[in-house]
Amino acid sequence: MSTLKTTLCIALIALGFFTACEKDDICLADIAGTPDLVILLLDKDTGTRRTPSGFSIRPIGTEKELSQRSGDSLGLPLRITEAVTQFEFILNQGSENENIDTLQINYRRQDQFINSACGYRANFVLDQPPVFILNSGNNWIKGALILKDTISDETAAHLGILH
Amino acid sequence: MKLLHIWVFCISLLTGVLSVYGQEIASVDSLQTQVLDSVQLKQKTPLSLRFGADLYRIIRSRASDDFQGFEAVADLRIRENLFLAAEVGNEERTRQVEQVNFTTKGTYYKIGFDLNMYDNWEGMDNHVILGIRLASSSHSQFLNSYTLLDRTPFWQVPETEITTGFANRDYPNLNAYWLEIITGFKVQLLNNVYLGLSLRLNRLLRDTVPENFDNIHIPGFNKKTEDNKFGASFNYTLTYSLPFRFKK
Repeated sequence: MSTLKTTLCIALIALGFFTACEKDDICLADIAGTPDLVILLLDKDTGTRRTPSGFSIRPIGTEKELSQRSGDSLGLPLRITEAVTQFEFILNQGSENENIDTLQINYRRQDQFINSACGYRANFVLDQPPVFILNSGNNWIKGALILKDTISDETAAHLGILH
Repeated sequence: MKLLHIWVFCISLLTGVLSVYGQEIASVDSLQTQVLDSVQLKQKTPLSLRFGADLYRIIRSRASDDFQGFEAVADLRIRENLFLAAEVGNEERTRQVEQVNFTTKGTYYKIGFDLNMYDNWEGMDNHVILGIRLASSSHSQFLNSYTLLDRTPFWQVPETEITTGFANRDYPNLNAYWLEIITGFKVQLLNNVYLGLSLRLNRLLRDTVPENFDNIHIPGFNKKTEDNKFGASFNYTLTYSLPFRFKK
């Protein structure tokens, strides 16, 4: 009978072990989620970083405002349910010679598996051309330059906006 | 096909070993019979083939929309307390694990030994089992839907379900190999009918992980836990024993 008891003990311990919490089920807080598109404002002649005066960005289709990032790069969240996202790039905001350019960012989404607890994060691949300027005449933005066409993290800038 | 070849090899290896083993037993037995016949005692080597099915998987297939499965079990008594045992199963299961909803389809094979550690009284045949299995599965994963990890949601609510796109597809031709340690028991209900329960602790040896997805669930192994190494499963079997003896 002692063998029966031993076996039952082993069985119970095994059962307890496997019905307990599984640490694999927790998505750790330091795992990065879906990245933003990181842009830099570049001088069209010299290619150096330059932020013009009175500059701001307004997303089209929402009342929300973009959150500020530290440093001179800007993070733009992209829509995951659509292949385009539109923003207004505003120069000299609030003054007489205010100039608004409407930009459309073109991309396709390729979701990347992280692990079973976190699931997937969205990655984006910029189309060619990556940007359409939707308004005509008196554009202060002269073009865009792909720095890194796959948006999988926010460690480096992906798109340069020339002005 | 590769999987099938591996199994054919394993089984042929085992049968080879067993046939040699069997001959040894036979020669020893014939000696024993000669000796024991004179005192009117018969030493039997009770060879028997026992086969049946897992009741739990049958009931669950009926009760749940997310599970369709069947497992056939068999064991062959090769010594008084030692059994050559095998399970074959097929499974289709849909699971929601955290953010991901997927369907796993596949077939698995398990082969190994059971050791009966229970001392039966005369005429009884109950089992307390300690066993080991080598198991493999060939399966596919289909990613049904998922929600994206978005730390700072801006455009959409974080619960937006992705049901079509780049990752929502079939991930075919996957394999896994693992070892199982088993504890369980079998109770003799009628003369040749047994009811059994076994708990299985699984240790993954190797699996082919799909690109841009994972084998979160493996048929026969169940969910991967603890650094994707361990799994657990059980079965609840009804088996019929067909006794036979080799002619000497």
